Amino acid sequence: MKKYWFVYSLYWQEGLSRRASFFMERFRSLVVLLSFYYLWSALLTHRTSFAGYDRSQMITYVLGMNILRSLVFAGKSDEIAWEINRGVLSGYLLKPVNFMAYAFSRDLSEKSINLLSALIEVCVLSKVLGIAIAWPHRWDTWVWFIMAMAGAVVMNFLLSFIVGCWGFWTAESGGPRFCLELLLEFSAGAFFPLSVLSRPLQAFLQKLPSPYLVFFPLNIFLEKLNPTQITYGIMTQFLWILVLAGGTRLVWMRGLNAYAAQGS
Amino acid sequence: MPATVIEAVALSKHFRVMQKAPGLKGALKGLFSRVYRDVHAVKEISFSIKEGELVGFLGPNGAGKTTSLKMLSGLLHPSSGQAHVLGFVPWHRERRFQKQFTMVMGQRTQLWWDLPAWDSFLLNKEIFEIPDAEFETTAKELTRLLEIEDLLEIPVKKLSLGQRMKAELACSLLHSPKVLLMDEPTIGLDVMMQQKVRQFILAYNQRRKATILLTSHNMDDVSELCSRVILIDHGRILFDGPLSEIHKRYGDGKLADVMRTVFSEQRVH
Repeated sequence: MKKYWFVYSLYWQEGLSRRASFFMERFRSLVVLLSFYYLWSALLTHRTSFAGYDRSQMITYVLGMNILRSLVFAGKSDEIAWEINRGVLSGYLLKPVNFMAYAFSRDLSEKSINLLSALIEVCVLSKVLGIAIAWPHRWDTWVWFIMAMAGAVVMNFLLSFIVGCWGFWTAESGGPRFCLELLLEFSAGAFFPLSVLSRPLQAFLQKLPSPYLVFFPLNIFLEKLNPTQITYGIMTQFLWILVLAGGTRLVWMRGLNAYAAQGS
Repeated sequence: MPATVIEAVALSKHFRVMQKAPGLKGALKGLFSRVYRDVHAVKEISFSIKEGELVGFLGPNGAGKTTSLKMLSGLLHPSSGQAHVLGFVPWHRERRFQKQFTMVMGQRTQLWWDLPAWDSFLLNKEIFEIPDAEFETTAKELTRLLEIEDLLEIPVKKLSLGQRMKAELACSLLHSPKVLLMDEPTIGLDVMMQQKVRQFILAYNQRRKATILLTSHNMDDVSELCSRVILIDHGRILFDGPLSEIHKRYGDGKLADVMRTVFSEQRVH
């Protein structure tokens, strides 16, 4: 366990040693946040609510979206396919280390750097712009919200890992990965709440894992779900984690048999 | 009688490789119709290496040397055949096996580019679960032998190739491996640095009774380090025996010239 903690710490150090990349990434995140804020502020100028969210809830969703994007989607798993194709994976396979645990540790490191930065940005922005955040009224909301976020982090890691493993069979995993990430973020509610979409499309998306990455945790935070819906959602997340974990193991084991260790 | 540490029996590896016709026309054609061919990189090679031996694994580019090392290290699953290293099947990647061997690839680094080499050392300490006292002693010994004590706190990206290579060697040996698979350990180094690395490899082999299998295109590496050589070409072993036997059979000239003769004529049995 200690080795993975050390990996986490080293990626922190490495992340902070690249100052220019770090600040540019934060600048990009701030621009995205401001764009969404002004877009939704404009849409709600002459309305009291939109798609079931009042102004305060919608702005809170936008700010929460920024934080959850930093937590759920940030990570280094998008490098896995490249590491396989270039033979960088060999360096890990030669050592007594579990690559999945290693990859998860470095993802967590990246996530925590981004999360901390996103929290600071959101706090500063809400203070400067005088945004009224719709905080939860009940303490147990926080417990469910944290559980749902943890589930979302694990689900997205497993999904990214499976996609990264395409690198075992093709050197062209970049294109499909980009499309999948875009679709995933759209269907996760990382651009807007899914209730904006038509009911049939919403019903279809609910059958996928993606709404449980952003839309579900944020609706818990906004207290828009009753206890039954929350329990159902958490259990669904758990089932998705089991399915994805099984899929990850299968793809990884088969991939190792096909691994050509090119370039190393 | 020293024990057998590395054993390969009829080890083979085939790859399926995509072929592309040259030029833009070939690239466009490849979008719709792809042609693959089977490459037989290693063909039923068999050999065994005893504890403490330092063996040179030689052959021209594409002969199958690196593929063989990758199978012995457990990176590649063979298409057929068997291998045992320290009694383990390498591609099962058991922890106990991984803690006793290392593979040094001259063109690849495990050091973290933006951080000092010492951080990579500490990471390996955790990964290989090296006790504190043992780590301190080994790290001190390796960095002294390789003369890199003063370089450990400088970010790796600021080191020269030779300094990086030495730090890489030290990092790979922190867990005191019993078996070293080395792929071109002196590639890209200047003559002085090559000499230092060679001296270090020899000292490590003698002090620790480590078993070493190394590939190199540098015949000085081979003549100074290896008493036994295995020659491979087109995936097949052409010769396996003492270095002196090669000279006896093919002349006393420079080893590089002798090798050229051997591989161009492929007359060795």
